[in-house]
Amino acid sequence: MLVSKNKAINSLLKSEKKSLFRFLTLYVAMIVFMILLLCAYYYQTQEKLMLSSQRATLFKYAFIHAKRLKVLHHFFDERVKYPRDPRFKSAIYDVEYKEIFSLLENKNIRFDKEIYIVDNHIHFLKSLDDYYLGTKYIVIEVLDDGIWREIIWKNIIGYGIIAFFVFLLFGLYLAKLFLKPMRDSIVLLDRFIKDTTHELNTPLSAILANIEMMDTDVMVEKNRSKLKRINIAAKTVSILYKDLTYLTLEQEKENHDEMIDLKALIKNRTEYFDILVQSKQLEYKLDLEEATMFVDKRKFTRVIDNLISNAIKYNKRAGLLIITLRPGELAIADTGIGIEENQIPFIFDRYIRFNQSEGGFGVGLSIVKKILDEYNIKIDIISKVNKGTKMVLKW
Amino acid sequence: MVRSLLLVSLLTCGLYAQDAFTRNCVACHQTLPATLQEMFKRYLLIYSSETNMKAGIKHYLRYPSKDISAMSDLFVDTYGIKKKSILSEKELDDAVDIYWDKYKVFGKLK
Repeated sequence: MLVSKNKAINSLLKSEKKSLFRFLTLYVAMIVFMILLLCAYYYQTQEKLMLSSQRATLFKYAFIHAKRLKVLHHFFDERVKYPRDPRFKSAIYDVEYKEIFSLLENKNIRFDKEIYIVDNHIHFLKSLDDYYLGTKYIVIEVLDDGIWREIIWKNIIGYGIIAFFVFLLFGLYLAKLFLKPMRDSIVLLDRFIKDTTHELNTPLSAILANIEMMDTDVMVEKNRSKLKRINIAAKTVSILYKDLTYLTLEQEKENHDEMIDLKALIKNRTEYFDILVQSKQLEYKLDLEEATMFVDKRKFTRVIDNLISNAIKYNKRAGLLIITLRPGELAIADTGIGIEENQIPFIFDRYIRFNQSEGGFGVGLSIVKKILDEYNIKIDIISKVNKGTKMVLKW
Repeated sequence: MVRSLLLVSLLTCGLYAQDAFTRNCVACHQTLPATLQEMFKRYLLIYSSETNMKAGIKHYLRYPSKDISAMSDLFVDTYGIKKKSILSEKELDDAVDIYWDKYKVFGKLK
């Protein structure tokens, strides 16, 4: 039970994969956005912290400079040498933001901010109450060494990556929780089918064996046609039984690969389905060339049975069933209802049935795909609604 | 008579050869202890920019008052308030422009 449960969990359905992919994409986008937002906030906070630590020093410089300007104002224009300080660069601007004198390396001044960083320079802006030499604004400039920025980036990258992976793991856990109800229902259905299938075996074998043993020559025509109908019904159930048995029990068995004659196998299977073909008044069109394949005969029989069975099931009354065999290629086509283009990617999903008018559990094509994938056989589906479907196998 | 006319003409021509600032401002300010340079710095301390300062000076010259004077109370009390200017708008603008150009800080700091 544990093995089959794990198998069910490991083999995600296409629709499940799509849901999982959508969920994870949305989740990853959200966490990336959230981490970026946090990083931006952290960066800004650290920048503000650094600027506030510089603010006291720069304020002191601006105060010293204002005092020097006061002295210069008093002695102007006997003295015209602008005061300089090795610790900082400065500039003075009037009330209309016009430069009176500047020693700044970067002259991009933002008069709306008290302290800011511009191209590796920190600018501090002090507004004066007395306009010495006409100065309303003193700008103090010091070089920004950028060490604080390196530390911040290291922290952002380091912690950002850690946070991303932590959130990702959490997301995967959430996705698992999110898929659990879907998965549980599949496991439950598998278990139910397995139990039911086991109970079908004995009565079905008895029906088929007895039909084979009956002497139809001594029967009246009315009874012969009734028996024929029983035979058709029994064979339909038999195919379903084989699929379910394969799905629940046989697929775990070891492969017995051998070189098989496909022409002979197809002829054998068409004869087996003959009675179903006749019941729907279909016509076989067989174009079979000699071809072989190294495969487990039991498994490939399931593939052919399912494809022919579908071609019969979904065919129109009095339609055609065309089977073409070439070396490396097998095509089984019908002239039935066809499949809508947007449904084609999902037809191999287990328990997916697009047409409720016909019986079945929706497991046939899932088995076909599983076996074909195992042997690296490519399958192409060409279908037009109300025209028919063609399944082409290439190896 | 001719001699007198010639003298008056020469004096008039000499007077108008000077600019509006020298003609209308310098003569009176020469008698005051505070120089025009010092007064300029006082205006600068209050008005900061060229536009503000020129507007401030013009307003004071048109409507002189102790309340809006750039000079100290002691100075105003000692030397009084100047008379209201009767110069034309153009003459006043020219005089103030020359005053600004003569004493401005722009381009003088090194």
